[in-house]
Amino acid sequence: MQLFSEHFKEEHPLTRVDARVKLIVVLSLLVMVLSYKGIVFPLLIAAASFFVCLWMKIPPRVMFLRISQPLFIAMVVLLLKFFFSGEEIMFSVNVLGMEIAGHRDGLIEGIRITGRVIGGVSLLIMLGFATPFIEFVAALSWLRIPRQFIEIMMFAYRYLFMFLDDATTIYSAQKNRLGYAGIRKGLTSFGVLTGSLVLRGFEQSQKTADAMIQRGYTGDMPLLKGEPVKAVDLAVATLVVIVGGAVWMI
Amino acid sequence: MSAGNSKFKMKKAISVLSTSGLIHLASSEAWAMHISEGILPFNWAVLWFIIAVPFIAYGMKRLKELSKADISFKPLIGLLAAVVFVISLMPIPVPTAGTCSHPGGTAIPAILVGPSISVVITAVALLIQALFFAHGGLSTWGADIVSMGVVGAFAGAGIFKILRRLNVRLAISAFCAGLVSDWAIYMTTSVELAAGIKGDAPFLPLFTKILIAFVPTQLPLGIVEGAMTAGMVSLLFKRRADLLMKLGVIKPEHAGGTI
Repeated sequence: MQLFSEHFKEEHPLTRVDARVKLIVVLSLLVMVLSYKGIVFPLLIAAASFFVCLWMKIPPRVMFLRISQPLFIAMVVLLLKFFFSGEEIMFSVNVLGMEIAGHRDGLIEGIRITGRVIGGVSLLIMLGFATPFIEFVAALSWLRIPRQFIEIMMFAYRYLFMFLDDATTIYSAQKNRLGYAGIRKGLTSFGVLTGSLVLRGFEQSQKTADAMIQRGYTGDMPLLKGEPVKAVDLAVATLVVIVGGAVWMI
Repeated sequence: MSAGNSKFKMKKAISVLSTSGLIHLASSEAWAMHISEGILPFNWAVLWFIIAVPFIAYGMKRLKELSKADISFKPLIGLLAAVVFVISLMPIPVPTAGTCSHPGGTAIPAILVGPSISVVITAVALLIQALFFAHGGLSTWGADIVSMGVVGAFAGAGIFKILRRLNVRLAISAFCAGLVSDWAIYMTTSVELAAGIKGDAPFLPLFTKILIAFVPTQLPLGIVEGAMTAGMVSLLFKRRADLLMKLGVIKPEHAGGTI
């Protein structure tokens, strides 16, 4: 929960930049990160994103929590590439009479993928902290993402905090009553927990629909209409993309 | 010949042990379902997105039709997306791997509202997770939709329908749907990962190693996901059988019977 809102800086200058501009800059840099053949550019992007997050006073612990999952997958990929892919053998170890070899080319390719992951995820983390959800939704609408998709996203975002709380409460109650003492009990408890959440989803959706209909809902939700993009935002964004592109080409 | 065979078997066993061991060494928590941002090269990211688009478009079309008939349908789908979001973040202990992992959660909406709308639900949950949790990614959004939304939902819903037609009990059908959906997601994710990271190496050996690497978490997790799906359907059947009837999961004559 704290990953979402607690560290969100509404007063920071970066959060006041138009969400469309931020989204386009991030997407442009992401394409550069993904298509880069080395490791320097993604790491530079990661460092820049890290400093921007620090500038927004995002605690490093929260940043680490967010990046830990992608890093885990990247580490698995790195080890797979190192030990099981490549031609150039760096070393080999004898395990139970069998040779397990580490490959130089596999390692380089693995490091390249890890760099891409770190660069890409850092950009996403920065975007997530610098963009209020509702403005992000408006930016998606401007990008011609279908209205229904955006509406479903808004409903989901509105209620997921409630379900996170519910899930935590139910889980604690089950745990306190030894609901997870043993595999069989644990499986049953997980089933009840899931069922309770789905049931709550159904009941809440009916209440929400009733309340919305009373307030004039006819099947479509109003969306934020974006104002024209400020010239300053556009100029800074263009500069960032040009500088990024220049570094990418070097 | 026999010595060669036993050497080959031994090599294979060591390969299995060492790839499985990567999971245990790397972290105390395994997040195997989502492909992270940056893992796939640009061309593969675009390809998976192109594959996902027609499924999302069809799901949106179905959603439009159904919400025209019932004004409360969109809020229901939105809330189900929130539920899927929460379920797919639940840390589930996997004793065989000594880690925690996370279920896909897509079999649940696939059974309740059908696989095509389930693709939309998954796409929404994945986009929010990517942006605000760095769980998945924007460039891997298409690949994650294909594995979790398309394959997971259609596999789960397909198995459920087949078993129900064969008069298999509701809870068992739901269990199998959750199990098959989870394992189908795991297989597809492995295909996507292997194809994306293989470089010049052949596809099949890397695919096999990725499959093996995630066996300790994904095989038991499939059983947990099956139990969760069965538990969900059982609870709804006991407490709100009318909802299951409204959604076409059970026929009116089955309400009040055994699960």
